[in-house]
Amino acid sequence: MSVLLEAAGVTLAAGEIVALLGSNGAGKTTFVETVLGFRPGPVRLFGEEAGDLAVEARVARGIGYVPQGRRVFAGLTVRENLEAACALPPAERTARVAEMLALFPMLGERPGARAWLLSGGQQQMLALARALVNRPRLLLLDEPTLGLAPVVVTDLLRRLSAMAGEGVGILLAEQRAALALGIAHRGVVLRRGQVVRAGRAAELAADPALADLMAGA
Amino acid sequence: MAYALIALGFVLALNAAGAVNFAHGDLVVLGGALAAFAGAWTGLPSFLLLPLVALGIGLAGILAARIAILPLAARPPEATFVATIALAAIIEQGLTVAMGGAPRSVPPLAGSGTLDLAGLAIGRQPLAIVVLGAGLVAAVWYLLERTQTGRRLRAVAADRAMARAVGIPVTRMVILSLGLAGALAGIAGVVLGHQFLVSPTQGAGHMLKAYIAVALGGWGSVPGALLGALGIGLFETFVAASFGDAWASAALYVAVLAVLALRPQGLFGEPVGRRA
Amino acid sequence: MARLGPFWMILLGLAPLVALAVLPAFGQRMVTLVGVYALMGLGYQLVFGQLGGLNLAQGALFGLGAYAAALAAPSLGPAALLVSVLAAAVPAALVAAPLLRLQSHYFALATLALASLVNLAAVHAEPWTGGANGLAGFASALPRGPLLLAIVWFCLIAGVMTYARVFAGPAGEAARLLREAPLVAATLGIDGGLWRLVAFVAGGALAGLAGGFSAAVSGVVSPEATGFPIMVVCLTSVVLGGTRHPMGAVIGATLAVCLPELMRGLQGAWLLAYAVATLAVVLWAPAGLAGLVDRVLDRPVPAPAPVGLPETVPTLAGPQVLALDGVTKRFGGVEAVAGVSFEVARGEIVGLIGPNGSGKTTLLNVVCGLERADAGRIALDGRRIDALPAHRVARAGIARSFQAPMAPGDTKESDIARAVATGAPFVLLDEPAAGAGERERARLEAFVRRLRDAGRGVVVVDHDIELLSRLCDRLVCLDRGAVIASGTPDRVRADPRVRASFLGSPVEAS
Repeated sequence: MSVLLEAAGVTLAAGEIVALLGSNGAGKTTFVETVLGFRPGPVRLFGEEAGDLAVEARVARGIGYVPQGRRVFAGLTVRENLEAACALPPAERTARVAEMLALFPMLGERPGARAWLLSGGQQQMLALARALVNRPRLLLLDEPTLGLAPVVVTDLLRRLSAMAGEGVGILLAEQRAALALGIAHRGVVLRRGQVVRAGRAAELAADPALADLMAGA
Repeated sequence: MAYALIALGFVLALNAAGAVNFAHGDLVVLGGALAAFAGAWTGLPSFLLLPLVALGIGLAGILAARIAILPLAARPPEATFVATIALAAIIEQGLTVAMGGAPRSVPPLAGSGTLDLAGLAIGRQPLAIVVLGAGLVAAVWYLLERTQTGRRLRAVAADRAMARAVGIPVTRMVILSLGLAGALAGIAGVVLGHQFLVSPTQGAGHMLKAYIAVALGGWGSVPGALLGALGIGLFETFVAASFGDAWASAALYVAVLAVLALRPQGLFGEPVGRRA
Repeated sequence: MARLGPFWMILLGLAPLVALAVLPAFGQRMVTLVGVYALMGLGYQLVFGQLGGLNLAQGALFGLGAYAAALAAPSLGPAALLVSVLAAAVPAALVAAPLLRLQSHYFALATLALASLVNLAAVHAEPWTGGANGLAGFASALPRGPLLLAIVWFCLIAGVMTYARVFAGPAGEAARLLREAPLVAATLGIDGGLWRLVAFVAGGALAGLAGGFSAAVSGVVSPEATGFPIMVVCLTSVVLGGTRHPMGAVIGATLAVCLPELMRGLQGAWLLAYAVATLAVVLWAPAGLAGLVDRVLDRPVPAPAPVGLPETVPTLAGPQVLALDGVTKRFGGVEAVAGVSFEVARGEIVGLIGPNGSGKTTLLNVVCGLERADAGRIALDGRRIDALPAHRVARAGIARSFQAPMAPGDTKESDIARAVATGAPFVLLDEPAAGAGERERARLEAFVRRLRDAGRGVVVVDHDIELLSRLCDRLVCLDRGAVIASGTPDRVRADPRVRASFLGSPVEAS
């Protein structure tokens, strides 16, 4: 199993889902930003030192990012959001975008809609599709379930499981531990930027002290 | 029409650099001056000088941003405010020294005289201006709306950090935008420089019109800026025809002030959060 | 901002004295002009330097003062100078209200439009302003020569000393906060609107006075006095000299007046050199030339040292109970805060917990007045405060600290200390322990207990449930904007709904 990511004591291999847990302020977003390169810090990506690379360069090696708050490109349409992010040459680009729209029926229904008009759930799907358009090997998600309806959350988690099944490595930073541990293989709990618990997802989920940990104890 | 080009360049630079470039108007004058000099030296009509001016002022625009805007991105807005005003003064004074006292003339785009179209005598210059302007606006529209580069430029303007996070080479996009903005400014200078002659002090006036167009049309909106410029042009022509140029300008300023007084967020802007 | 040191004071005093004693009429005229432009610059420093407002109308106000003096002098003599002041200050006051609401780039545009209008009027309103030729022949009614120099420099010295004294004190810090962190300023009770108004009118008054003096010096007033070039000179000279330094305007004005003389041979090149120097200063020496001289003179540049948590926390008298009743806040269609009700009394510590997105920070924003509630009441001893702007809420008795340092040079502890120093009976702390190490947490805990013992009511938002359990008398748990549990820490922590909320399972609001 190739190791996709090593940073600050957290490792992630292909096909794995790792839940990055912790209360707000525990350092989840900081960790994700460090992996991407928005913050300085040692990171090994896809087996190589990446700490000196710029954000764009790291992403180009195969990272998809779904940020907290979705951050779709507001003035662009659904289709344009996907096209802008796609690094393929024109002919393949059109085909790839069509593929993504088919994979996400919610988006395929209204490809010409401006992104700021979409609902929270639709924007989340768009953010996810945008992250997937370049077939990333590593997918980073920061609190993707925040503010979403339960039906959408279920769909999202199902898709993530499927992707892991296809070999994508997924880092799922979440405050809602039960949800994340439901699909994850392993879990890591952060507190003030440090790893304080790690283990198999099932073990963590069964631990009675988890609620306290999540509350910041 | 020339106003449209100036406003277009202004809003592109605004979106790319994230700051108002007070020297934009002077880039326009620089374009006119370059065309005047090149025209006098080579005897070519402006039409053939356009690529030279576009390239020259495009580079000037990038240089200006590298000196006065990009290095100050982390500082409070007053810094770029002052830096670009100083840059505008530098360009203006530099031109004054280089051009001596007299205003210069830019050769016409397509010769003077008139064309006969369906029984109407239309001046060749005005016709050429309209064709050029419309052509450029259409080209920029096409670039922004129908090409991958344009989509990426818009993505960068929408959310710079996120654009980086999807792999878009942001610095390259910013430089491209600024170069395009400069080129448009330069071309506008060529167009204006025939009708109004080129004089170093015109920069401030051009800048003010572009600023108004962008503010009225919705800060950062490209179609808004174009509409704003069009509106200003029509408004001025209208009022000037009945009351003269001075009243036209005055009416424009009063209109702007009225809009800002009633809608502090501009005509199309979102309501600003409560000021503490 | 330091008081004016002896070096500068001597310079300031010597300049006019030496000029009067030694210089010929021509030299005296130049020194007078320096004083005139310095006065305009000093006024400009109030809005632009201290408050960071992108003001482009100062030149126009200067021109108004000049024209007023020219028009009034034949009938009023030297009293025309007072008319100059009013001719600028009154219009400034009239446009201030709508103008000062505008955000930075719109404010710049509006001031530019106003200035352009004034300029147009000057050029075209011939019957009053003499049109493009301007007005002349009034100078004999105004002070001239050495007397004028003395008057101008008297006003200037008075102005500079007052400015230095005012901004060396708490006003300087208040202005800095308004400039760099307006939200913090509001929660400290600083009325930004009033500040901007006073600065704009006072700055305008100084410009008007300078304009009147300039009319007296040159004996002629033309539309150039209201033009954009004058504005550019004012702006660049202030930046070159030192945007906030008390001597900034004087140094800038000295250069602006003397450089053209020194560079006489090079037609117009002085302005080019001036602009290049200004650009260089912005890029590499933001404190201006005065700042550079200060460094050379080895004067200590007062950087506000970050303050730690104070030992004693005296409290002002004031309301006893802060009550929230059904407070609701919506963004778009989403209820960020949904019908929250609870009370805090003085001498109590209440902890506010809940997962991310549960509305805690929004609730704090609503209570302190930075956001307005869509429904519900917030009251101090029964007196409603939910409709008040933030600075009034602060003065009513609520202080607040922020999640992240808001102004350069701030730390979390200095932010908290500043909020507490207002003496407000109720203190809202937003994640004070975030990112803090063991020792800092212990200090913070002790500090909050001191606050309680001093009779303050404290609301603490945080994620460290251990800390809050030890510290707080009561905990209130929010989930998706609504209160799902409230009571003693032990009870709340054991509440199954609370535990589920932290694990991310869906929760029914109570």
